[in-house]
Amino acid sequence: MTEAVVVVTWRGVRGDPVPETEAALTLGRGVAASLGGELRWLVLGPAPEGMAATAARHGAAAVDHVDDPKLGPGRFDALVEALSRYAADRSPRLFLFPNTFDARPVAPRLAGRLGTAVVMNAIRVDVADGRLTALASANGGNTVMVYAITGPGPSVVTALTNIIVPEDAPEPSTPEVSEVAVDLSGVEERIRVVQEAHTEGPRIEDADVLVAGGRGLGVPENFKLVEELAEALGGLAAASRPLVDDGWIDSSRQVGITGRITRPALYVAAGISGAMQHMAGCAAAKAIVAVNTDPDASIFRFARYGVVGDCTEILPELTRAVKERGASR
Amino acid sequence: MRIVVCVKEVLDPDAIGNYALAGGLVIGDDGVSIAMSTVPRLMNGYDEQAVEAALRIREAGADATVAVVSVGSDLTTLLRHAKALGADEVTAIEPPAAPLDGAAVAALLAAHIRSTGGADLVLCGRQASDDDQGVVPALIGEELGLPVVTVARAVETAGEGAARVTRVTPEGDEVVEVDLPAVVTVSSELGEPRYPTMPMKMAARKVQPAVVTAADLGLDEAALAPRVAAVRQSAREISGDCVIIEGADAAEVADRLVARLIDDQVLPARS
Repeated sequence: MTEAVVVVTWRGVRGDPVPETEAALTLGRGVAASLGGELRWLVLGPAPEGMAATAARHGAAAVDHVDDPKLGPGRFDALVEALSRYAADRSPRLFLFPNTFDARPVAPRLAGRLGTAVVMNAIRVDVADGRLTALASANGGNTVMVYAITGPGPSVVTALTNIIVPEDAPEPSTPEVSEVAVDLSGVEERIRVVQEAHTEGPRIEDADVLVAGGRGLGVPENFKLVEELAEALGGLAAASRPLVDDGWIDSSRQVGITGRITRPALYVAAGISGAMQHMAGCAAAKAIVAVNTDPDASIFRFARYGVVGDCTEILPELTRAVKERGASR
Repeated sequence: MRIVVCVKEVLDPDAIGNYALAGGLVIGDDGVSIAMSTVPRLMNGYDEQAVEAALRIREAGADATVAVVSVGSDLTTLLRHAKALGADEVTAIEPPAAPLDGAAVAALLAAHIRSTGGADLVLCGRQASDDDQGVVPALIGEELGLPVVTVARAVETAGEGAARVTRVTPEGDEVVEVDLPAVVTVSSELGEPRYPTMPMKMAARKVQPAVVTAADLGLDEAALAPRVAAVRQSAREISGDCVIIEGADAAEVADRLVARLIDDQVLPARS
């Protein structure tokens, strides 16, 4: 029987996770090819727009669509039940999830339910002698760990899709799209939402320009220098974790491995040392500008442009210069 | 109410970060472990927050026993720290010699929880700062048939036999309720954990943590055989290509930087 790599996605609170899906399909296609198997896309809940076309572009052999009203973001018991029934029916070799907030509670539960291996935060999945190995981020991004996956499938992997560049298959496929029925009648969510989350205002994950402040700012009053430059550039203000922990700004503005993963066109890092945990949240930026008093600061290894200087002096001058040149994005 | 807090001892992540920046991380002969005796061992940061969450529930008036448990060897220092913070019970679970994966750690913790009469609430940090995997809490949940609520910034009891948890989501805070028993993972948004007081530290020094072996829990090497084996760890190499913008003063530097960003089309020209 052909071994299957199954990419699993479902619509989030904000809509379909398009870039994450495309990155996961790209990674999945590679693993399927290495296994000599097929790529399948398992869509839970409502179908994303252009589902069949997306699947074709990525060379998927099939799309399996399970559209049950019990399936949705945060519906963990239904998601795990649907996945374990699909696993019992189809015995795929590997379930591949994008490492999204929605998927992180589901993937290890599925592996526990199935009694199979789970690796989170994978950057790459390789095949050697028919066995899967996953290269995963560790120590906050300071190291990478190679894990060998053993035991019967289906194994479970979540992929760091924010750093995987989506790529279409060289030739589009003609995927078989099927509606799959799963009996979820016995499932009732054990976690009851009492107050839904609601974002107030724009999110840093969606911003084109971010100006982020770190410890180099010195005192909370200086954070307004970050906000002023952000406004002048038509972007949003963000912060490193220590500032959020100290209460300078809300955690929705935290950039980093345990904060938000951002991918702006321009990221200005002011008074930020460049620790890996932080860089994981902004390394996907097209251009990074770093301002730091320490010429040896790690941030300069990631930045394209750097200023060695005091951010409390540089930021207001940048704001002035941007306004004078009318240079907001 | 019985609250079990699962904690892990890790190498100080700040020290790891500093060594990594300096290109000085040393991987041991096994190709996997970071072999640096100069790096302090301490309680995983998120697990400290999980202990804090348990103590806050007890202080809010719940008649709660806080039992801290950890899988590993030489955990006396770690568990005395937990005692000094205010834990009622501290237990070390000695694993067999072979390396463990998340599933094996979860099996040991779940077996221990069962053997001590179960827990009303199992608290864990959301992930460990060394492997960042964060799978153990969910695996404990599946093993014990308990719901798993992740990334809590607040955990409170809600009437008899239920908990109210405020979760940190990308869309802001979400409040959920779940019947106990349940597993809850804690995130740093819970706030600064307490430090042990000097008298508590002195008293904890006399404490001998209880020790339980895998064999005591009825788990042999076969039952704990890993499905995921760490094969090789390496430090990430990042080398940059950064243009340093200079100038006589801050104003000149800023002018030059903005001009360069416009030139390179990172910023639009006059809009």
